[in-house]
Amino acid sequence: MHATIQKPVEEILSYFKSGEKVFVVGCDNCAAKCHSGGVPETEEMARRLKKRGVDVIGWCVPQPPGVSLCKLSNTKKVLQEEYEGQIKEADSFLVLACGQGMHTVMDATDGGAVHPGCDTIFGGETVSEDFITEYCSLCGECIVEYTAGLCPLSLCAKGLLNGPCGGAKEGKCEVERTRDCGWQLIYERLKALGRLDQLKDYKTPKNFAKWNRPRSLTFKEGEAIFKSLAGEHRVVNHD
Amino acid sequence: MSTLKHTLEEAVFVVTGEVGPPKGVDLEECLDSIEKIAGHVAAVNVTDLQSAVMRIGSLAVCAKLVERGIEPVFQLTCRDRNRLALQSELLSAWSLGIENVLCITGDHPVLGDHVEAKPVYDLDSVQLLKAASSLNNGLDMTGHELEGKPELFLGAVVTPEADIPELQILKMEKKIEAGAQFFQTQAVYDVPQFESFMNRVQGFNVPVLAGLVVLKSSGMARYMNENVAGVKVPESIIREMEETAKGDRKKKAVEITARIIRQVKPFCQGVHIMPLGWDELIPDIVRSSELM
Repeated sequence: MHATIQKPVEEILSYFKSGEKVFVVGCDNCAAKCHSGGVPETEEMARRLKKRGVDVIGWCVPQPPGVSLCKLSNTKKVLQEEYEGQIKEADSFLVLACGQGMHTVMDATDGGAVHPGCDTIFGGETVSEDFITEYCSLCGECIVEYTAGLCPLSLCAKGLLNGPCGGAKEGKCEVERTRDCGWQLIYERLKALGRLDQLKDYKTPKNFAKWNRPRSLTFKEGEAIFKSLAGEHRVVNHD
Repeated sequence: MSTLKHTLEEAVFVVTGEVGPPKGVDLEECLDSIEKIAGHVAAVNVTDLQSAVMRIGSLAVCAKLVERGIEPVFQLTCRDRNRLALQSELLSAWSLGIENVLCITGDHPVLGDHVEAKPVYDLDSVQLLKAASSLNNGLDMTGHELEGKPELFLGAVVTPEADIPELQILKMEKKIEAGAQFFQTQAVYDVPQFESFMNRVQGFNVPVLAGLVVLKSSGMARYMNENVAGVKVPESIIREMEETAKGDRKKKAVEITARIIRQVKPFCQGVHIMPLGWDELIPDIVRSSELM
């Protein structure tokens, strides 16, 4: 899930030229969970902008419920069929969703001008209605098999792979007194699972070519192809 | 062969010192204070942007020490350079006559004065040691042959007073497998804990130098407890300093440091003294520790 936070309304206002016709688009999946671009938030943003003199010609959060804005086929269908007139009239689209959703709106409107209404901040677990936190850094080569399911890149401030540095005090990381040392968390969980032996193995340096953007995933005849600067990584998901 | 390596091999109790380069290009004061301690220590560590504060580089200061016939320990952190730059820096160090390298993680940028800087940590300290060992064997990290190979004496750090000693020991073992030939520890204050730690690592047969920070005041001790990664001064010592009159502080600093050295001497191969500005006390500390 891509966590997003709205940009301050003053910043959003600074994006618009005088007389610009704006259509606001939200997302009923991640942005709704983050209270940044769901139906109530999108409606409210349209209202706030109108109140501040922006020519908001409409808004929408593509349905059915829970479908991500970044699903191009659905967003294109909804915008071009249900909002055909407004899409044609709009000078630009203010998107209350993650960066992927924003680009989807560009594609769905055949190259329409977009303004980001949110900052996309991380990929997170929805722990509760009002708390989302990051456990995965989308690095492309998952090693949590060896760290009791806890990711050292995401939990260790320095992203160390072979164990902790010497900076932790009372189990807290040197960067922030309230933050647990990621490696201490990994150690405790491995210990509970009886797998401390996994800490002994040397972990090789990370392949950062797999982290270079943009990356893509394609499917062809039952084969998944992950394309990054590290090349094409192919996996067949059936016998 | 580096003097440090030779001295450790001879099983002579070793004393190393440390200096932090200045923020700027005026090196006179820094080099002068090193000259003062040079005769009393086997080698002098030069820190690498410690506490993530931008300063002149360890490489430059180490090169100046070599010019003056003083043996440096080049501290190299993983914080600011990727694997290309790290390997290159190791080769550069060797070409400048630097032989001893301490391969460490490095304090996070948020602790320093450029908090928005991009933390690199392309390699961790274990991977850096492995890369350095590879260079010593005439190959770079990706297996290419070098035109001429260094013979670096590789060191690493361990924290005996960490919350989970077992975790530190696990990593220490990995560091040794990756090529660490000596260790300098973070500051030691709890002697029984240090003894127990050393009992557990004795079997690794790699020399360990106990780290000591010379405390100037109780205020400094509290500041370090709050702000400096890896340092934990116990309340008992802070109280001891609080009860000392201002004029007697230097004497007390020598007394405490020398006392800890005498106590840890039976279980380690040397000490690493971090004077943090009071370099002139090192000769007194060495004398009071009855090391000569």
